[in-house]
Amino acid sequence: MPPLLQLHQATIRFGGLTAVNTVDFAIAEGSLCGLIGPNGAGKTTVFNLITGVYAPTHGRITFAGHDLAGKKVHEVAALGIGRTFQNIRLFDRLSVFDNVRVACNRHRATGPLQTLVRLRAFRDDEAAVSRRAEELLEMFNLLRFRDTPATCLPYGEQRRLEIVRALATRPRLLLLDEPAAGMNPSEKADLVRLIRHIHREFGLTILLVEHSMRVVMGVCQTIAVLDHGMKIAEGTPAEIRQNRKVIDAYLGEEHAPLKAE
Amino acid sequence: MAEIPQSRAPNPKSDTPVPVWRLLPRQHLALALGLVAAVVISRFSGSIDAYLVDVAIGIGINVILAVSLNLVNGHTGQFSLGHAGFMSVGAYLAAACTVFAGPRLLGAAPGPLAHNLLFFGALLIGGLGAAFAGLLVGIPSLRLKGDYLALVTLGFGEIIRVIFQNVEVLGGALGFNGVPAYTDFAWAYGWGVLTIFTVSCLVNSTYGRGFIATHDNEIAAQSIGLDTTRYKTVAFAVGAFFAGVAGGLFAHLKLSIDPRGFDFTRSIEIVVMVILGGMGNTLGVILAAVLLTILPEILRPVAEYRMVLYSLLLIILMITRPQGLLNFRFGKTRL
Amino acid sequence: MTEFLQQLINGLSLGAIYALLALGYTMVYGVLRFINFAHADVFMVGSFAGYYLGRLVPGGTLWGGLAVLAAAMIACALLGVLIERLAYRPLRGGPTLNVLITAIGVSLLLQYSGQIIFGATPRTFPQLFPVAQFHLGRVGISSNQIVVIVVAPLLIAGLQLVVFKTRMGMAMRAVSLNLKAAQLVGVNINTVISFTFALGSALAAAGGILYSMNYPSIDPLMGVMPGLKAFTAAILGGIGSLPGAALGGLILGGAETFVGGSQFSTYKDAIAFGILIVILLLRPAGLLGRWTAEKI
Repeated sequence: MPPLLQLHQATIRFGGLTAVNTVDFAIAEGSLCGLIGPNGAGKTTVFNLITGVYAPTHGRITFAGHDLAGKKVHEVAALGIGRTFQNIRLFDRLSVFDNVRVACNRHRATGPLQTLVRLRAFRDDEAAVSRRAEELLEMFNLLRFRDTPATCLPYGEQRRLEIVRALATRPRLLLLDEPAAGMNPSEKADLVRLIRHIHREFGLTILLVEHSMRVVMGVCQTIAVLDHGMKIAEGTPAEIRQNRKVIDAYLGEEHAPLKAE
Repeated sequence: MAEIPQSRAPNPKSDTPVPVWRLLPRQHLALALGLVAAVVISRFSGSIDAYLVDVAIGIGINVILAVSLNLVNGHTGQFSLGHAGFMSVGAYLAAACTVFAGPRLLGAAPGPLAHNLLFFGALLIGGLGAAFAGLLVGIPSLRLKGDYLALVTLGFGEIIRVIFQNVEVLGGALGFNGVPAYTDFAWAYGWGVLTIFTVSCLVNSTYGRGFIATHDNEIAAQSIGLDTTRYKTVAFAVGAFFAGVAGGLFAHLKLSIDPRGFDFTRSIEIVVMVILGGMGNTLGVILAAVLLTILPEILRPVAEYRMVLYSLLLIILMITRPQGLLNFRFGKTRL
Repeated sequence: MTEFLQQLINGLSLGAIYALLALGYTMVYGVLRFINFAHADVFMVGSFAGYYLGRLVPGGTLWGGLAVLAAAMIACALLGVLIERLAYRPLRGGPTLNVLITAIGVSLLLQYSGQIIFGATPRTFPQLFPVAQFHLGRVGISSNQIVVIVVAPLLIAGLQLVVFKTRMGMAMRAVSLNLKAAQLVGVNINTVISFTFALGSALAAAGGILYSMNYPSIDPLMGVMPGLKAFTAAILGGIGSLPGAALGGLILGGAETFVGGSQFSTYKDAIAFGILIVILLLRPAGLLGRWTAEKI
C-alpha cells in the first residue's frame, strides 16, 4: 500500500537560507509519527509545506494520491489534512461551540443561499452539525465551556479545543505542532493519553512535531529527526535514542545517551 | 481528560411537535412582520410632519448602509473605505433606469403598480451593478490587509466619483437632476428590514461563522478548509449590493444627485456608524445609524458648530469607548 | 519639446510639495503604523499660518518670506505634537482601526474649526517672496516655482541629516524597526514620537506655504486632495522609506501635471488613485519598500 503522505526531496529556500533541504519522508496510513529536532531545524516549516502555506522550491509532496503542488491551504485541508498551530490560533470572537461548528463546514450538505431560504433541509443540516460539534466537545470534556468565548478558556483547554477543531474537519491526517508547549509534566502525561486516544478512536494518521522527548518517545511509533533542514535519522524511538547523529545534534559535544527528560 | 460519552445526546427536535407559527423559521417571521409594519406605517406617513418623515427615511437608508458595511468591516474584518463609491454606482444606475427607461416602459397612463415595479427593478439593477463593482474591486484587492485594503477601496471610490463627474449624460459635475420621487417610508424600511434579515441570516449559520473566522484568524480559517478569499468576496459583493440599493433609494429621495455627495467623507460616516455600534454587532450598528442620523438634525440650531461637535464626539468616543459605544455583551460567561 | 520642459518644471515643483507632505505620512507610519489623516489638515493650517503671519512682515522680500516659513513651521510642529499628545497617545497600542478613525476625527475637527475661524470662503494667499518670471527660451519659470525647487530639497536634505546623523534620528529609526525593543534598550518612545510628529508637521507647514504660493486660493478644505495624493506618493515609494516618499512625490507630481496638460485633464484627480491601486496590487511594498510576511 502506498504511504498516505510522501515528501519527495522537499526543499524550500527563503532568500539565502535553506530552511528545509531535500527531505524524503513517508507516513503510512494509520501510523503515529513524530518529527523532532532542535530549535530552528525546520519542523514547523515542514508542516507549512505540507499544508500549502509555503510552496516547496524543489521536490514534491503527495497526499493520498494527490500532488499537493499549487494547492491552496484550504484545498489541502479539504483533501483531509487537519492541523494545530504552535502558537494557538483560535477564533477569538467565536464561542467554543462555534469554533468547532465552523470547522464542520466542509461536510455541510446545503449551500450558502440556503442560509436565507432556510428550508427544512437546511435546518436539519444545521441541527446535525450542532449535534456533531457538541458530541466532539463532550468527548473532550469541553462541553461545559460551550458558550464561552474561546479566548477566555484556560491555556490547556485552548490547546485541546484547537485539536477538537481540527478533528471536526474529519481529517485523514492530523498534524500537531508542539501540542505540549508550555505544559507541566502532569499535563504532558494527559496529553500523551489524549493523543493515543484520538489515534485509536478516530482511526486517523497523526504526525507530531514536538520538543518534549517525553511526549514524542511516549506516543510515536516512528520518529524522524531534522537538523538544519536535513533529515538526519528515522526509526523507532529505541533506535533514535541510540542514534549518534541525533545525540550530537541535540547535545552537541556531550555524548551521553538520550533519556526521557 | 477525555472520556467517551456513554450515551449520545438525543436530538431535541425529533419528538416534540412543531407549533404552527414555527413552520416559518424565526427569521422569516421577523422579516414578514417587518415588511408589513413598513407598509402599514407608510400608509399613515401622510399625517406625520413631512420633515420627520424625511429624517425617518434618511435613517432607513443609513441603516441599510451601516448594516451592509458591517458585514464587510465588522464581521469579515475587511476595512473598506469605499462604501459611498458603491452607493454612487447604485444611485446613478437606478436613477438612469427610472429617468431614461421609465417613460418608455410605463407608456402614457401608468398605474401605481407599474411605478412600483419600475422602481423595484431600478433598485435591483442599481444593487446588482454595485455588487458587480464590488467584485471588480474585491477580487484583485482582497489579498491586501488592513490599511492597504482601506486605501485601495478609498482610491476606487474617488475614481468612481471622477468618472461620474465626466459623464455628461448623467449630468457630469453639475449633478443628475429630475429623478422621480419614488422613495417613501415603505421602500426605505422594507429594504432596511431585508438588509438586516439577509446579513443576520448569512452570519447566523454554520456557513456564516466562516465570515467571523476569516476575520479572527485567516490562516486558521484556511486550515479548517474555509476558502477565505471566497468569504471576503461574498461579503464585499453582498455589502456592495445593499449599498447600491441604498444609493438608489437616496437618489429617488433627494431627486438630484451629485458625484460630490458620494465622496470619501460619506464613506467615513458609514464606517463611523459601524465602529460606534461595535464592529460585528448588528443591533449596535442599527442604533448607531439611527443616532448618527438624528444627531446632525438635533445640532441643526448650532449649524456651523455641528461638524466640530461631531468630530470632537468622534475623537472622545474612540478614546473612551474603543469597543464601540453600543457594544454590550449579554449572557456571556467571562472566565 | 518646449511643452514637455514646461510640464516637467511644473511637475517638479508640484512633486516637491507632495514629497514634503509624503515624508510626514511615511515618518508617522514608520513609527506608529497608522495613516495620520490629520496630516493633510496640518498642511492647511500651515498655509493659513503663512497667510496671517505674512501680514506682519513686508511682502515680497526674501527674509520676510523665510521668516514666515520658519514661524509657520514652528507653529505647526507644536500643533502636531499637541494632536499626538491629546488624540493619539491615549489610543497607543489599541487597534489600528480605532487610531485611524481618531485621525479622521482630528482631520474633520481641524477642517470644520478652520471653517469657523478662517471662514469657508477661499482667500487669496499673499506674495511672500519677491516675484519675477524667468524665461529660458519659451519655457517659463516663476520665482515661486524656483523657491519650491530650492526650499523643498533643502528641507528634505535637512531631514535626512536629522534622521541619519543625530541621536534622536537613530532613536526614531530604532522605534520604527521595533517599538518594544527600542523601549527595552532605553529609548524614550514618547519623546521620539513627539519629535516625529513635530518634524512631520513642520514639513507639512512648509509644504502648505509652498503650495499656496503656486496655487494662491486657500480654504479650510484645501488639504484633502493634496493629502490623499501625498499619501499615495508615500505608498508608491514604499511606506516607511524616506527616499521612497521623496521619489513617490516627484513621480506623482509629474504624472498629474502631464495628464492635466493633456486632453484627459478632467481625469487629473483620478490619476493618483489609479497609481495607488496599481502599485498596491502589483507591488504593495512600494518602489523602495520591503514587505514582511506574517510568521506562522
